[in-house]
Amino acid sequence: MWLVSDVSPYFDKMFSKLFGLFLIFAAITTSHAQGPTLVLLDNQVIKETHSIFFRSLQERGYTLTFKIADDSSLVLSKYGEYLYKNLIIFAPSAEEFGGSLNVETITEFIDDGGNVLVAGSSVTGDVLRELASECGFEVDEEGAYVIDHLNFDVTDEGQHTKLVIPSDNLINAPVIVGIKKRCGTLTVPRNCTAYSYNPDQPIKEYPHAVGKDTVLIAGLQARNNARVIFSGSLSFFSDEFFTSSVQRSHGGESVPVAGNQDVATAISQWVFKEHGQLRVKSVKHHKVGETKPPQAYTIMEDVVYTIEIDILDDGKWKPFNANDIQLEFVRIDPFIRTTLQRNLQENTKQSSKYRMCMEFISLK
Amino acid sequence: MNIGISIVTGFAVEQDDISKPYYAAKGFRTLSEPIVKEFIINNCAHIKKHYKPTTSLELAFNAFNAWSILGCEGKLHTDVTIKSLQSVLENEKSTTADVRYAAEILTLFKSPIPNPAKVGQLVQSILKEDDSLLSIGHAFHVASLLGNAGKFALDRVEDVVVQADEIDGKLLQWEGGLTTTSLIITGLLRLPGATPFTQAQADKLANYLLTRRTVQTPKGALSLLEAASALAESSVSPVAISAIGSSQVPIDKPHLRVQVSNIFGDPLKPVPDQVVAQSATRISDDVVVLAKQPLVAGNTPTEFILELRLEPGHYRIALNAGSHSAVFAARVLGPVQVNSLEIGLSDADGSSAPKLTQLSLPPTPDSRLQADSSQHLIVKFSSSRSVHQAFLRLYTAKKEIVFVAEQDSNKVYKVEVNLAAELTYTGSYDIELILGDSLITNPIRWRLGSIAVNLVTADPPSTTVVRGPKPEIQHLFRPAEKDHQKLSLYFSQL
Repeated sequence: MWLVSDVSPYFDKMFSKLFGLFLIFAAITTSHAQGPTLVLLDNQVIKETHSIFFRSLQERGYTLTFKIADDSSLVLSKYGEYLYKNLIIFAPSAEEFGGSLNVETITEFIDDGGNVLVAGSSVTGDVLRELASECGFEVDEEGAYVIDHLNFDVTDEGQHTKLVIPSDNLINAPVIVGIKKRCGTLTVPRNCTAYSYNPDQPIKEYPHAVGKDTVLIAGLQARNNARVIFSGSLSFFSDEFFTSSVQRSHGGESVPVAGNQDVATAISQWVFKEHGQLRVKSVKHHKVGETKPPQAYTIMEDVVYTIEIDILDDGKWKPFNANDIQLEFVRIDPFIRTTLQRNLQENTKQSSKYRMCMEFISLK
Repeated sequence: MNIGISIVTGFAVEQDDISKPYYAAKGFRTLSEPIVKEFIINNCAHIKKHYKPTTSLELAFNAFNAWSILGCEGKLHTDVTIKSLQSVLENEKSTTADVRYAAEILTLFKSPIPNPAKVGQLVQSILKEDDSLLSIGHAFHVASLLGNAGKFALDRVEDVVVQADEIDGKLLQWEGGLTTTSLIITGLLRLPGATPFTQAQADKLANYLLTRRTVQTPKGALSLLEAASALAESSVSPVAISAIGSSQVPIDKPHLRVQVSNIFGDPLKPVPDQVVAQSATRISDDVVVLAKQPLVAGNTPTEFILELRLEPGHYRIALNAGSHSAVFAARVLGPVQVNSLEIGLSDADGSSAPKLTQLSLPPTPDSRLQADSSQHLIVKFSSSRSVHQAFLRLYTAKKEIVFVAEQDSNKVYKVEVNLAAELTYTGSYDIELILGDSLITNPIRWRLGSIAVNLVTADPPSTTVVRGPKPEIQHLFRPAEKDHQKLSLYFSQL
């Protein structure tokens, strides 16, 4: 669950003119997911070979600034202000970035709430490996591909690395991967016959990833709401994969168009916070039968806790509908964990009745 | 084909856009494809309706060209149009693009360009102000229409060619992408007396164009087609020598189909008299296994067939077609056969010989093994060839562990699983054998049976929830003490 803390420059200006003092308050309640985005590329051709993906971002309101990854003028911030809200790194082979960009400044960008989408390849460079490990991901050695001799596409060039992945291998999270359709996807994760190794070398050491442990696209949301996606494959986002048909070599199932575009779009909507943004609208608690909170609760009292949660949908805040919101009371470890019940009378509220307890422990 | 789709969408009559019919019509003409009559009627009417003399020169260029290619009836222009075009050629404020479009339209109307020498000077003076790639690209096109007065552009050729960016040593393009690159390629190749590219440069430009096959817009598709066609018709027409479809052949039908063509897939001019495989080298040990084998002509003039009667493996093939040569990789695939398969248990301390059972092939998944912590699971098998992936997978609904089989000196694969060390908890595991390789036609996935393992630790811990709700925790209050009143009474009496 996360609060919106994005400050849109446009709204800043407007509110500072009109209200001055209320600036901070205004910034909390406005939301503006799309924004300036820096795109780092290995070369200019990627801009064209991945044009559908970039165009869909532009159509959704992102301002894309394309730069070559070793451009010596690269900066993320000026005078302590970030120039970009989002960063896309489609430069798998970059060994280091130009200008002031490096693993530290990008990590700092994430720490300050920036969103990052990274795509690698079989030759993922050192700088991306370091960045990945800063985010808790691990990229296999240079030259390694995810191989699956049983689930590859008929257009595979012979190493069995262009994989066919049924969509039920995607994690069950529509907010990230989109509403499931029956679709084949080129290169995403988790067939149990897959493994990651250099296809040109015999297997001498245990592969770094085998079977269902192999993940092709990974994402995280940091405590500060920054979101990061790592994809092991840049081709996943390419026009070629977006428009190609899929046919499994052994077994022959086929679909006319790969699901890559749907998944890539959904992933980008998530990582840049178009999807899955929640806010807490109100929190109330009081004793059963009362309406206002007392000075303090004591042991064995029944308390009603109500929280109102909204989700950002198409730029508007709408009631959030979920059945797995949990409330925890933590004293070193959680000692109460309860699932909140949706309050059906007041459609927007999630509320739960529970017994609250007070016991005192002395800490020395 | 994507280009086809992009081009055809140009014919879908859309609002007041009069450029798309041109992209579509010109694209069809470049591909020498006939245009459906209905398209012609609709688009002629569409252009007529939306063409206004006040439109920009580029739009006018598109409209008049489409009008001419589609063979629409009647005239779209008037004498006033021609006058205004001529005035563009004299206007010092024109850009090279303006001058080019005006000159092209006049040429289309078969109306002479007045005073070419002066136009040439105008273009040169514009270039002094604006020498961007786009500006120069258009200047090449103008120059090609000016006869002798266009010779000035020849001095610029070398300068523009060196500005092209090389990517990974394979691609060549100009900054600005497909539109700019196409404008410059077509402009340079159109210029009389210029030989702008070496063969190597032309090949790299062609490689770049091929990466743009997925271009999405009718305009982009036309840029691609025009550039490819200009390259194909030039003296440095790139030659494509590649496998048709897949570069792998099964061992029982080892006919590798090779295409020798220009960038458009048309036969070379002149047709090479013989296509020869100079050599085929096995990549694993660098041994030449085939030399000077001529290819047989295939079903089409561009198709040639190479018979690869070779063992399964990866090969590097060097091919000659006339003066052109290419090296590419090919694979011969074969089936793998498992000759024997044994499964059983051994004692961890090696006190007694392992008891192995021979399984039928392919195995029926009915092996039931009972084991405890003092035992090892052993699976041994031999196959007709070595494979990249020889995995043994133990799994339950929630957990899977994969073991890599190792080949001993006799090429027998063996997996030995120390059950106590590898499996932490008692349970029944299914056993699966997976054999895969990029050179085999029949990857194998066999379920061998199951093994029930009895270990010291009985129950797996409740699995941690990675996603989704966590188990609820109820707080238990300490029950109130019953006899506290009596107790307090007792103590107060003391």
